[in-house]
Amino acid sequence: MPFTNADWLPSYDELTVPEIEMSAAPLRAGSHHFGKYCDFQCKEFMLCMAEEKDPRKCLNEGKEVTRCGVEFFQKLKNTCAEEFASYWTCLDHARWDMHFKECRKTRGIFDKCVFEKLGIEKPELGYFSKVRVHDTKRLKPKRDIPLPEPTPDPPRAEDVPVPETAKQGSRFLFYP
Amino acid sequence: MPGMKFRQDMPPPGGYGPVEWAQKIPRRGLSGYAIFGVAIGISSTAWILYHFERNYKRRYELDMNDARIALEPLLEAERHRAFLKQLRKNRDEENMLMKDVPGWETGTLYGEPCYHNQAKRFPDVKPEEYFIHSRWADMYDRIWERRKH
Repeated sequence: MPFTNADWLPSYDELTVPEIEMSAAPLRAGSHHFGKYCDFQCKEFMLCMAEEKDPRKCLNEGKEVTRCGVEFFQKLKNTCAEEFASYWTCLDHARWDMHFKECRKTRGIFDKCVFEKLGIEKPELGYFSKVRVHDTKRLKPKRDIPLPEPTPDPPRAEDVPVPETAKQGSRFLFYP
Repeated sequence: MPGMKFRQDMPPPGGYGPVEWAQKIPRRGLSGYAIFGVAIGISSTAWILYHFERNYKRRYELDMNDARIALEPLLEAERHRAFLKQLRKNRDEENMLMKDVPGWETGTLYGEPCYHNQAKRFPDVKPEEYFIHSRWADMYDRIWERRKH
């Protein structure tokens, strides 16, 4: 166990939030629109993890992502339930990797419904794969790592006086 | 037969043609240039089709990549919470198990810390530590991914 009683671990209450209870197919079906809907929260969370590299410090960001996801999928359930169900059923039976290739028809219907009722436009191709700049108000994390004393610089060759015995240069040189 | 006029057999007027002594091989199929042309045509058509197919596949793979990247924060957040919950559980379990041992401190070997961690980084939790209170066989399955996910 790498944690002592003095180390901080969040309690069970802090870690218990309503989770998304969905399998892979509906998650994949709603992934693009979820990413667009919760863009800020997702970026914030990933930035936190990239900076801190510590899941304890990014709990609130993670909770925010999950809350946003639950909200989005609830909205989807209330508005476009039928289209969503047909789309993810198609994806579930598509291929071993749930490829979008097989489900263009249902996907088109779903996208249209989401755009009309929720107002979320489908992000263009490669939107999430490209590098996107994130404008945040998070403070940069400070690291106070106790470092040892810096080692002294080595002396420069010009400053060191030439000893009397080496006046003639190296004996491995044929010319002075 | 009497009365029949004698006629000498003669070569045809203009003489016989030249003697055909060379072997005659009939020319079949396309000429060399035509074969080259057909090969180049097939190759270029295939090349064009290959490019179309490649772009098509790349577009779809990009789409799949988008979906994976978009979902990653959601799954990651949930996973981190589950992970921390299990760590908490492990620590409570160890506290309870070792309460009768004198001098034992949780997370240390009789007060000696396991890791040199002055910067207070999140330690790399080994699977042997994470699954320590489960059955050995379960831990083995998890570590070596014997269990089908």
